[in-house]
Amino acid sequence: MIRFDSVNKYFGNFHVLKNINLEINKGEVVVVIGPSGSGKSTLLRCINRLETITDGELTVNDLKVNDKKTDINQLRRNIGMVFQHFHLYPHKTVLENITTAPIKVLKQSKEEAEKVARSYLEKVGIPEKANSYPAQLSGGQQQRVAIARGLAMKPEIILFDEPTSALDPEMIGEVLDVMKALAKEGMTMVVVTHEMGFAREVADRIIFMDQGQILEQGKPADFYANPKEERARLFLSRILNH
Amino acid sequence: MDIAGALSFDHLKFLAAGFKVTLYIAFISIILSFIIGVVFGTLRYAKIPFLSKVVAVIVETIRNLPLLLIIFFTYFALPEVGLKLSPSTAAIAALTVFESAMLAEIVRSGLNSIDKGQKEAARSSGLTYIQTLWTVVMPQALRRMVPPIVSQFISLLKDTSLCVVIALPEFMHNAQIIYAQNINYIFPIFAVVVFMYFIVNYCLSLIARRLENRQA
Repeated sequence: MIRFDSVNKYFGNFHVLKNINLEINKGEVVVVIGPSGSGKSTLLRCINRLETITDGELTVNDLKVNDKKTDINQLRRNIGMVFQHFHLYPHKTVLENITTAPIKVLKQSKEEAEKVARSYLEKVGIPEKANSYPAQLSGGQQQRVAIARGLAMKPEIILFDEPTSALDPEMIGEVLDVMKALAKEGMTMVVVTHEMGFAREVADRIIFMDQGQILEQGKPADFYANPKEERARLFLSRILNH
Repeated sequence: MDIAGALSFDHLKFLAAGFKVTLYIAFISIILSFIIGVVFGTLRYAKIPFLSKVVAVIVETIRNLPLLLIIFFTYFALPEVGLKLSPSTAAIAALTVFESAMLAEIVRSGLNSIDKGQKEAARSSGLTYIQTLWTVVMPQALRRMVPPIVSQFISLLKDTSLCVVIALPEFMHNAQIIYAQNINYIFPIFAVVVFMYFIVNYCLSLIARRLENRQA
């Protein structure tokens, strides 16, 4: 479904992604971990072309992401994205946040879009916040709205860019619960996170990145019990033993 | 000082006529320069190849010239190339050109001040660039821009008095005619002028403050 073929990316002289080869299948939940600056977020952001790749080939559903002929808006409506800092629209209510894209992009009627939005708000557990503004919600609630906003486009893939890193510890659980439910429904998910519990529980595959390379990948059980790479072992020991 | 003589009915009527011209010129220039300023500011923000550069050159040039020079230019220089404007048209043209450039910069910096994550969130949901600008970035930026835009409008209203140099019969111009007749009129007439400018501009400030509070 998502395929990286010898992908390289530079920021100026800085080689952020080095020869990435990766295939992610439909329904798979892939968790990307690694130290900061390792290129995890960049990898994720290339998938919906928030970043452009320098060379190699990246395809989503057999469409070349960086081909000029590819209708990027068409591609993006099929890929939801959830950000570390939520990026809800502060001037719009929760309901408007969720319905903007379905109305503008999918040309849904306002009534239809609102009905869909309310059902997703139900799903993420905050139906009563439909008419609130983002600033009136807690971080955890805002992130759940952001997930509902992504779901309302009925995408086949959702990308999560450190969705819990900006949250107070007590709110992380409520967001992870929503993500776990999604994973179990068979959504294709690529998640950049430091939540090892989540990774262990729902990931089909763990990808460990360092310095722009994929150093190791495998099933969570194998990876956590017995990481092959020295760098991965060091990383795990640092984040697990505290 | 001759208060009664200075503030005779005829003089007040004459001042009122001048004030009407000031408000009229300011109002038209505000509307026009707001529209042009938003368009130019957005074009500069959008970094469209070539076009944004052209807009940048125009805006930077105008912004760095004195308004008085632009007023002189529209009234005295343009007739040399066959474009003869009446004082009021020349005043509106000059003020609009100058204030558009100032507003374009306010609009551009307002748009730039919006977190780039907003644009990323909108674009990644499939909205086009124009839709993103129109429904996500611009509404947020405009709210932030209210205070600087209103202070620019206040400047504009005050700057209409510069048009005295092209004999536009505006407020300052008419006031000058009255106190030029008699040195004893100067203080009373100035008091009226100060009062009127203050009232109008202070009202604009109050409106701005209300707009600010409403969104906070």
